[in-house]
Amino acid sequence: MNIDRRGFLALTGAVSLAGVLAACSGGGNSGSSAGGKIQFWNFFADADNEKYFREHFVKAYKGSKEVELTVKSNDTIDRLVQTALAAGKGPDLILTPGPSQVAAYQSAGYLADLTEYAQKYKWNDVLAPWSLEASKIDGKLVTLPTQYESMAFYFNPAVLEKNKLTVPDSRESFEAFCTEAAGKGMVPIAAGNADWKGANEWHLSVFLNHHAGGEAVYSALTGKTPWTDPIFVDTIELLSGYFKKGWFGGSVDAYFTNQFPKLYKQLASGEAAGMVSGTWEMGNMRPYFGKEAGNDADWDWTTFPSLRKEVPNEVWDLGIGQSTGINSKSADVAAAAEYLNFLATDVKTLTKAIEEVSWPATPLKLELADFSANADPRLSRLYTELPVAKNIGYLTWTFYPQETETYMIQEFEKVITDKMSAKDFCAGIQERFAKEFADGKVPTAPKPSGLAS
Amino acid sequence: MTTVLPHGAAVGQAPTRRPRRWKRLLRDNSVKGWIFMVPLILVNVVVILIPGISAVYYSLTDWSGIGDATFIGFANYVEMFSNEAFANALWHNIIWTIFFLIVPMTMGLFGAYALSRLRRFALFFRVAFFIPYIIATVVIASIWRVLLSPDVGLGKILGINFLGESEWALGAVAFINNWAWWGFLVVVFLASMQGINPSLYEAASLDGASPARQFISITLPAIRPTFMFLGLMTIIWSFLSFDYVYILTQGGPAGSTEVLSTLLYREAFTNLNAGYASAIGVIMAAITGVVVAAYLWIRKTRDWEI
Repeated sequence: MNIDRRGFLALTGAVSLAGVLAACSGGGNSGSSAGGKIQFWNFFADADNEKYFREHFVKAYKGSKEVELTVKSNDTIDRLVQTALAAGKGPDLILTPGPSQVAAYQSAGYLADLTEYAQKYKWNDVLAPWSLEASKIDGKLVTLPTQYESMAFYFNPAVLEKNKLTVPDSRESFEAFCTEAAGKGMVPIAAGNADWKGANEWHLSVFLNHHAGGEAVYSALTGKTPWTDPIFVDTIELLSGYFKKGWFGGSVDAYFTNQFPKLYKQLASGEAAGMVSGTWEMGNMRPYFGKEAGNDADWDWTTFPSLRKEVPNEVWDLGIGQSTGINSKSADVAAAAEYLNFLATDVKTLTKAIEEVSWPATPLKLELADFSANADPRLSRLYTELPVAKNIGYLTWTFYPQETETYMIQEFEKVITDKMSAKDFCAGIQERFAKEFADGKVPTAPKPSGLAS
Repeated sequence: MTTVLPHGAAVGQAPTRRPRRWKRLLRDNSVKGWIFMVPLILVNVVVILIPGISAVYYSLTDWSGIGDATFIGFANYVEMFSNEAFANALWHNIIWTIFFLIVPMTMGLFGAYALSRLRRFALFFRVAFFIPYIIATVVIASIWRVLLSPDVGLGKILGINFLGESEWALGAVAFINNWAWWGFLVVVFLASMQGINPSLYEAASLDGASPARQFISITLPAIRPTFMFLGLMTIIWSFLSFDYVYILTQGGPAGSTEVLSTLLYREAFTNLNAGYASAIGVIMAAITGVVVAAYLWIRKTRDWEI
């Protein structure tokens, strides 16, 4: 066989192409349920959480099929899942960071319809109605919320008592709280986004829900009111005004460099008077308070106050931190649904996890009787009151479309650094939201009241 | 006496078997070379050529990164060139490039020249300058975050929040990156300088040339290929810079450290605009392509060698 340079190049190209095609083609429908086990990819905050999950959510599961857990990094799991799904593979259970990603997976046909399993396992009876509503696309239930959250106002009771500060319950008392704390040389609200730029949207969500109000936000999310409405502009101006006064983080530039551990230490030491953050902090703060931290500091929480008379006193900001669906190419969708039902609704396992490792719960309708006497009352209170919330607010990462959410996170920094006006900021939100609304990318939002069944 | 036939078989003997074609091919050095190239070609086809072609294709679509893509022509490019965020990021890349063409190159040149003159402790300084280059980015970023901290570090002493103030942040991140980078330039320049014939310096000294004159008239012309090459690589790497920005500021505060690669990352993986992100990637590749072409053109017209 004679082979010249051209021939050799052609041969090399053909071999390469064949290799690539072989690599891309995949070996079958799915790699899921290999060996008769349910494949599940998950990530964990730390080794303790992983160990606990393996013990109580994997080994202890007694369903029709065993579960094989593969641990991925928090930073890469979404990309890995996307790549695997694009290749026609992936685990049986698909973990997503919330409704925005779910919509993309659903439109690509990656998610199985769970509607029949909702009836079979009576999810409507055990899970909060708003959470199921927010998990539907085109009327089909395609995921279950496996972690949910709210925002809270955290404080250190002893510090407030020592400084004669009272937990705010209105706009006037919130402003008085911040003014007095600043006057005493304290940081009024511990805040910072150096570790996670998304912290910007926590504050935006809280102020939109507690100043503009759930009704106004719902109206905007359903396309009835534009985001340029004066109520939203006023809300952004109010929040940015508080930032510019140094009430959040101490100063605007300190806010950009404050890391989370510093915030917890400030709250524990009394350097800060309060903190506005998510309910996930109940687990994160543990090492900084009490015996574990070698101090006698304590923390408590309440809902953030209403900042306008027209907004109800108690508004619960609601969001889904993690949704889990089932791979439409799973070899055994029924077995995966059975395990998903266990993950989302097994009261005994979930309450024990909340008690022992502050596990972020699913929106189960829990009662105080479901918890043991050892349960931390701060956590049991949260998980019994939140699912039956009467007045709700909307967390941006659950109910706002993706580009609008990213815009809010990115551009809010320009508002607090005087590079953009509140009006222009709201116009930017409206521009992106209108496009995504027209494209059907806005997740379903439940009504702001009367949700408890 | 035997008659020898042209291809080596003697009359009266069984004809010698011709070597198999594949054996002959293997004896051909050029074919051997190609065979050794096959794994590399395969890898390059898989990780560079195919993704590269895919990126150009996807830049013409509305692909979200998940599912199917729809062809939309040049819409992503039209949007990109009218987008303030893109212009802002591109401008920061240009500032970044200018900074890295001037500051570390100058430091590297003078550092190497000073080291080339040292007779004692030269190895120690070489190692000391090079160590930051081999430390993980995340470690260096964490160390400098503390060193510049407005609570306990240099920021507190000077009253400047280097990473928190828009006016300082880009310079601070570039400074940190430079700290890890310039030692590498020192080592490369030094290696190049050590190839210069010492008699040139001796002759210059005898003629009364000062060290500065020697540097300008002997050292710089002698290391010009290295200088040009590192300049080229600096421009390319500057347009690809991502890690320090992402770890230290995530493009903030208020977009003051946003560069093309962080913008691309956010569009692709947060906004799920993989098509638009591909268009940014294509433009980044085009910019570096123009730089490389200009470099090659200069080399050709001036007859320079690397």
